[in-house]
Amino acid sequence: MIDRDVLAEIPARPLLVRGLEARFPLPPGDRAFVVAGGSVTAGDALLEHLRDRRIDEVDVHTAPDAERPIAGTRWAPPPGRRHRDHDGDGELLTPLPGRKERWRLVAGDHRDRVASPLGGEVTAVRPGAEIRIRASGPSLRGAFAAGSAARGRLELATDPFGELRPGGIDVGRAGSILVVGSRIDAEALTRARAMGVRGIVVATLPGKELRDFQASERRQHASLHPTAPFGVLVLDGAVRRSIATPVAALLERFAGTEVALLTDPPALVFDEEPVDLPAPAPDWVRVRSGVNAGLEGRVVALVGPRRFPGPVTLEAARIAVEGEPSLDVPIGDLERFA
Amino acid sequence: MSRDPRAFVALDRGTATVAASLVARIDGRWRLLGATAAPAGVETGAVVERLRRRLAASEPELAELLGIPRPGSAVDLPRVACETGRPPEIAVVAATDRVLAPLVAVAAAAGWRVRPVVLDGAQILPVASALADPRVSAVLAGASDPPGADERGLLPDLGAVVAAATDRRPDLVTVLAGGLAAPGSRVEAQFRPDRPGPTVLGPSPARDGGEPLRELLDGLRGGDHDGRRSLAAGATTLAEVLRRRIEVVEIGQAGATRIVAGFTAGRVLPTRWASVPAAALLPPAFTEAHLDAVAGWLTTPLDRLRLRDRLRELALTPWGDATGDGALLRMAAARAALERLRAATPAMDEGSPPDVVIASGGAWAVAPGPAVALALADVMRRAGIRALGWDHARLLAPLGAIEDEAERRAVMADLRDDLLLPLGSVVMPAGLRAGRLAGHLSVKGEGGPAELDLVPGGLELVDLPPGERAIVELRFRDAVDLGVRVKHAAVEVTGGLGGLLVDLRDVPLRLPDRPERRRDLLAAWQGALWAGMDA
Repeated sequence: MIDRDVLAEIPARPLLVRGLEARFPLPPGDRAFVVAGGSVTAGDALLEHLRDRRIDEVDVHTAPDAERPIAGTRWAPPPGRRHRDHDGDGELLTPLPGRKERWRLVAGDHRDRVASPLGGEVTAVRPGAEIRIRASGPSLRGAFAAGSAARGRLELATDPFGELRPGGIDVGRAGSILVVGSRIDAEALTRARAMGVRGIVVATLPGKELRDFQASERRQHASLHPTAPFGVLVLDGAVRRSIATPVAALLERFAGTEVALLTDPPALVFDEEPVDLPAPAPDWVRVRSGVNAGLEGRVVALVGPRRFPGPVTLEAARIAVEGEPSLDVPIGDLERFA
Repeated sequence: MSRDPRAFVALDRGTATVAASLVARIDGRWRLLGATAAPAGVETGAVVERLRRRLAASEPELAELLGIPRPGSAVDLPRVACETGRPPEIAVVAATDRVLAPLVAVAAAAGWRVRPVVLDGAQILPVASALADPRVSAVLAGASDPPGADERGLLPDLGAVVAAATDRRPDLVTVLAGGLAAPGSRVEAQFRPDRPGPTVLGPSPARDGGEPLRELLDGLRGGDHDGRRSLAAGATTLAEVLRRRIEVVEIGQAGATRIVAGFTAGRVLPTRWASVPAAALLPPAFTEAHLDAVAGWLTTPLDRLRLRDRLRELALTPWGDATGDGALLRMAAARAALERLRAATPAMDEGSPPDVVIASGGAWAVAPGPAVALALADVMRRAGIRALGWDHARLLAPLGAIEDEAERRAVMADLRDDLLLPLGSVVMPAGLRAGRLAGHLSVKGEGGPAELDLVPGGLELVDLPPGERAIVELRFRDAVDLGVRVKHAAVEVTGGLGGLLVDLRDVPLRLPDRPERRRDLLAAWQGALWAGMDA
C-alpha cells in the first residue's frame, strides 16, 4: 500500500465529525426553552416559534432606581387591568425614541413548539439570534441543505446510484429520513414532504430543483398552518454523481436508527457511535469532480505535475479502478476518506 | 525568520489553496528553489514535504547542504507565513440610501462582507433582525456631518436600533461614523457603559476619499497574519525594489485585493489598497447579475442552469474540474471577479497608469501564463504601455509578512527575478478611430525586427520571449491616448510568456450583444494565447 505520508497530499474528507455545533435560528420574538450550559435530548422542547410576527408598542414601567430594560428580554403585562394597554407577552425589540418607557414589542398569536432534533449540550442561547447545541453523537457533513432541521428514522430508499421518482414515495415512508441515491427532483421532494417524510439525503441536487423546492417551502411557511419539519441534505453538490461507497456503507450501517438532519451546518447527526463502523481503506479515493467523477479506486502513486486537457498542468495521482486500466487524475479532483 | 537562516519556507494559506515555496541562500543571495500548491484541505506539512522530496530528487547535494535530505527534515525550516480566511460580516446601517452608499463602498473595500441596512421606508423588525444576526460581527452606523434634512427625523430611531443591537450582543463591535461620531453623542449615550464590546468613533466616509475610515475598518477585522495586508506590504516593497509603479490584482476564493504601490524620484509613494470580498471568484451572495457577468466571458456555450450548477460545484470544490472547459469556466469567473474588483475601486484608476500589472491569487492557478495575460488585458483596460507579471509562486504575500522592512527589502531584491513570472507587455492605445488604419508599429529586439500595421479593434501578438527586451516604436496618424496624448512614441518593453500584446481594442472593451458572436470573438482572442485550447 502507498505510504501514508504520500496520501496526506490528497484532500481528506472526514466520514464522521465529532462535537458538531448545530445552530437553530431564534429570530426576535421566538422564545428559547433551553439555557446555555444545559443539556437537551432529542424531542425536548427547544423553542417557541412565532408564525405571525407583529410589532406592538407597550409601556414598560420600571422602578425609578432600576436600570432601563434590555432589548431581547421577555416582557409580559403586569397583573391586573390598571394601566394595561396590551394583553399578550413578547420580546422587547427597541425603545421608541423620545417616548420614555415606551418600547416596541415583538408579539404574535400563533406559536409553534419546536422540538430539538438532536441531543447534546446547549452552548449558546442568543435571544433574537440563535441557539447552539453541541451534538453528543457523531455526524456526517454535507455540502449544503435546504428546508428545516428534522428528525426521523433513516431508511435507504434506493441504491447509491439511484434516483427516487415521485411515484416511489407513499405514506408508508412517513416519519422517515430517506436516502435516495444520486439525485432527486423538486416534485419528488414536495411529494415526500406531503407524505410525511421528514427528510431526504441525496448525493446531488441541481440548482433548478433546489430553487423550486425553496419556493415551495416559502409558500408552505407563508400559510398560518403549522408545518412539519422537513429538510434536504445534499452530500456532494449540484452535478449528478452517486453517493460515495464509504458514505453509503456508513448510511447502511445506521439505517433503521433515529437520526437528526441539520441544515446549519448541513449534516446528519447520529445518536451514538457504534463500535463496528465500516472503515474504508486509507488509500481508497473517489474522483469527486471532473470527467471521471464518480469513479472510485485505490491510489497507486503520486505522479507529479501532469498535462491534462486544456491544456493545463496539474499535480496528479495514479489510481487503480477495479476492472479498468489505472488512470492519472488531478489531485484536486480526488477525495479520500479519513 | 531566524537570525541567519540558510533556507526558509514561505507559506500562503488561503480559503481554497495552500501554497508553499522553498527559498534558500545560494552564493550569497536568496533564490527560489521550488514552489507548489495544493487544496486547502491538505496539511501544510504534506505540501512542504512535496517540495523537499522534489529538491532531494533533482538536487540531492543541495538538499544535503541545506540539511533537508531526508523525509520530514524540512519540518524544522524557518517559515514566513500568512493566512487568508473567510471575510467577517459587517452590518452597515444609515437613515437613507444617500448616506448608506458611501459607507457601504468604504466597508466593502476594507475586507468586510457588507450587509446594508437602511431605515428609510423599512420595517423595524427586519432591521433589528439584521443587526442581531449572529453572522454579523460588527455594525457600522453613520450619518452625514452635519446630518442632512432627509435623515434628521430618522436618527433617533437609528440610535435606538443600534443600541438595541448592543443590548442583545454586548460584545458587538460598533463603529459610529460621520455625524454620529461626536463623543458623547446621543447615539453613544444610549449604549450601556459597562458593555464589553468596543464603540469606535470613526471618520466620515467623505474624508480623504474614505481612506481613514477604510483603514479603521480594516484594522477592526483582525487577523495578525492576514494575507491581504501582507500582500499590500509585499507589493510596497516590490515597488521599491523594482523602482516602478506597480498594480497587484489578487483574486481568491473568498475575496480579492487591489493594490497600487509606487516609487518616484527616489522615494516610495503611499500605497493604496483595498480588500473586496464581493470581488471573490464566487461570492457567497451569488446573484443572477453575477451569473450574467460570468456568462458574458464564456467562450463555450453553456445554458444558465448548467452554468449555475458548474459554478456551485466550483464554489464547493475550488480545485475540482480544472481541466478542459472547467479551466475556461474558471477564467470566465476570474474575469468577472476582476471586473467587480475594478468597479469597487474606482479611485485606483485615477492618476498615472501602472508600469507593471501583477496577477496574484488562486483564480489564475490553472491557466497558462499567456491566458492570464489576456485576462488582465481584457479587464484592466487603461490606455498606456505596461508589463504584465504573475505572482506564480504566491510569494508576495508571505514575504510581505517579514516584519523587518530592511530584511524584507533585501530578500525581495534577491528574489526579484524569481518572484514574478513575466507574462509580457501590453501596448494599449485609446481613442483610435475605427474603420481605418491607425498607424504603424515597429519592434526592434534581439529576435530581429517586426513590423505591424495598427488596425483598430484588433489584438496582435508579437513574439517576445521572457528575458528579452525590445524597443517598440509607434507612429499614429492622429494623436491617441497612450497614458499621455501622443502621435509618435518609442518605448522599451520586456518579453514574457505571452510576448508583446498590441491591444487595439476599445478602451473600455466593447463586445457584441449577441451571445454567439461574443463567444466567437472571445474564443478567437483566447485561441491565440491559449495554445491547444479548443474553445
